Amino acid sequence: MSAPTEGVRRWREVSLGLAWISPWLVGFGVFLLVPVLLSVYYSLTDYALLDVPVWIGWENYRELLSDALFWKALRNTMVYAVLSVIGSSILSVGLAAMLERPMRGAGLARAIIFLPTLVPVVANCVTWLWLFNPQYGLFNSAMGAAGVQGPNWLGDTRWALPSMVFMGLWVIGSPLLVCGAALKDVPESLYEAASLDGMGARSRLMHVTLPMISPAVLFNAVMSIIWSLQVLAPPMIMTRGGPDGATLTYSMYVYKTAFEFGRMGYASALAWVQVLLTLTLAAGALWIGRKGVFYRAG
Amino acid sequence: MSFSTDNRGSVTRRAALGALAAGAGVMAFWPRIPRSRASIPAGRKVIDYWEKWTGPEGDAVQRIVDRFNSEQSLLWVRRVPVSEIDTKAMVAIGGGDPPDVVGVFSYNVPQYALSGAAIPLDSIGAGATSIRPDWYAPAVARLLSFNGRLIAGVSSLYSLALYYNRSLFAEAGLDPDQPPRTVEELDIAADRLTIRRDGRIERAGLLPNLPLWWPYFWPIMFGGRLYDPVNDRAEFDALESVRAYEWVAGYPRRLGTAESREFGVAYNRSFHSPQDPFISGRVGMIVQGPWLANFINLYRPGLDYGVVPAPVPAGLLDPANPYGLLEADVLIIPRGCKDPEAAFEFVRFTQRRDVQEQLAREHTKSSPLAECSAGFYEGHGNKFVRVFDAITRSANVRILPQTPVWKGYAHLTEGAFDSVWRGEAAAAVCARVQARAQEMIDRSSAVRAKRMVSSEGRRAS
Repeated sequence: MSAPTEGVRRWREVSLGLAWISPWLVGFGVFLLVPVLLSVYYSLTDYALLDVPVWIGWENYRELLSDALFWKALRNTMVYAVLSVIGSSILSVGLAAMLERPMRGAGLARAIIFLPTLVPVVANCVTWLWLFNPQYGLFNSAMGAAGVQGPNWLGDTRWALPSMVFMGLWVIGSPLLVCGAALKDVPESLYEAASLDGMGARSRLMHVTLPMISPAVLFNAVMSIIWSLQVLAPPMIMTRGGPDGATLTYSMYVYKTAFEFGRMGYASALAWVQVLLTLTLAAGALWIGRKGVFYRAG
Repeated sequence: MSFSTDNRGSVTRRAALGALAAGAGVMAFWPRIPRSRASIPAGRKVIDYWEKWTGPEGDAVQRIVDRFNSEQSLLWVRRVPVSEIDTKAMVAIGGGDPPDVVGVFSYNVPQYALSGAAIPLDSIGAGATSIRPDWYAPAVARLLSFNGRLIAGVSSLYSLALYYNRSLFAEAGLDPDQPPRTVEELDIAADRLTIRRDGRIERAGLLPNLPLWWPYFWPIMFGGRLYDPVNDRAEFDALESVRAYEWVAGYPRRLGTAESREFGVAYNRSFHSPQDPFISGRVGMIVQGPWLANFINLYRPGLDYGVVPAPVPAGLLDPANPYGLLEADVLIIPRGCKDPEAAFEFVRFTQRRDVQEQLAREHTKSSPLAECSAGFYEGHGNKFVRVFDAITRSANVRILPQTPVWKGYAHLTEGAFDSVWRGEAAAAVCARVQARAQEMIDRSSAVRAKRMVSSEGRRAS
């Protein structure tokens, strides 16, 4: 019997490899790829889940343009994303820089800051609901004791969304860890060289620390953009999108459209717009990152 | 140093993996009875019944289920408490794996009927074993039916009425035996009951945003219909709706937009608890359903309160036929149900007068049936059940619009209520809701027509 040719041997290797990863391939296909492709189709239909989809072409996408709730949800989500990304970037870098300095209790502080990340989102939300309570909440009681009347955090259209962003910053543990790890990786020799050149603390921060940890900051920013464009549970639990739609986020509108109003086709169209938006913003952040982020060679 | 090369007594990797696989296989195929089936008597056919109720109200439903299970020996109903039930039922039915009976809401009936997702009850039973619409009060029969077909059975029924705190009335110099009957009297009483301190509302007489669960209720109290089923038209820009929302706007105007909102938000999560704004005496009057009596009995049994039909404009006052909104929790047999006949047996059992009255009494609600037994009101947990009963049987009672887009339409009214509360002109807000609601209705009708044409085409081919 002659030895198998190179082509046959290669084909056998590929087949064997595919066989080994087939559980993942099947799972990916059945639970992700097929639903994703179906949702493209559904976005071009009127589909109430209980009935067969009816082809309507681009009608769902056309309807989006005149849907006031779509624009409101989009605006809210963009505001939430911008505030969250800026807030979490500044806070995570600031806290990481503070905790990387030699000080007693830094480990404990890191653990305490990371702790809210482990708390289930519903428990977080219920806790914050009480903190934000305009009459009995901790914030307004503290402000009242200081002689200041606190706002109606979740009941005032001007305050509701910023309050949600503020609450979101409580869960800063993961970006803080990433920034902390990046800070540890900054070579001490650079700081020594900077000191020899007569740089002060501020200059060292601006010209050494930030450039060196900029890949981590970019990573956090991209993740934050993706997460904030998908925010669903906090407004769902805390405000149901109110007052006056001030906290109606995009994902919440998709969920309501699909499962409360039973309009799966329209919700699919909404979801695809969300996907494109997320890709565009993440790509934009990466493009900006190419210019402003410093990557070390080697 | 020397190493032993003796492999006796060691286990090869192949043998270990083989043993593990064999163990997993035995575990997987070992005959066993799931815990959920362990208590089911042998030989009974199981009916899975999804229901939303939990807590004491869920216990009351379970007692009905237990009664059914003990009264016959062929079927066994297994109650499964399910949250967000209309969403999950929709997914289960759409996915082709529904339970046998589902407890959804009356506003789901048109959507389920139009898509064929619920098996009409009049298509299963016949003659002596049927469920007949004339068993129910006329408005209830309308709730359960669509396009002349009986789609659902009733689980429990509710309407909304005005609860008022008699002690606070007396304290404010109002006559507790003369509760408000018109919106004009309501406003006067509300203002008298309100207490403000340091610019904040300490006690509210009434706040239409507390709770903000039925923003569409007020147009109904002003005589509106919200929807014209004959012409398939939304009616949110009707004069009644505009007047209702202008009346609503009077509250933030008098009490302060920020202050009234702050008060509303503070109690948003306290309903049906000891901190409930009405039970705790922080509001003098509130529009609520009959279930509030249950919570008063539980948390503050000594509360001196009364219940009357929700006030209407003076021109609409008709004490014999109060205005109100009727809604119900309903039972449907979903498309794809394993055994519709068996499911129907259970639904039919729940529609029996003694069973309906048992559940209504335990839920402190009125009976949905056309006739009540003589003893129904005696010892009823809700001492004002006759008020709710009068609303149920009134010629002026309204049901929610029977259109499949109602949930989307209702969502628009929430935004409208908020906008009006913030000071936007009621007419403009109502016109905006009307335009969008009509757009949804028209689109739904057009798609339905298209679907009908394509299904007829499929049949013809």
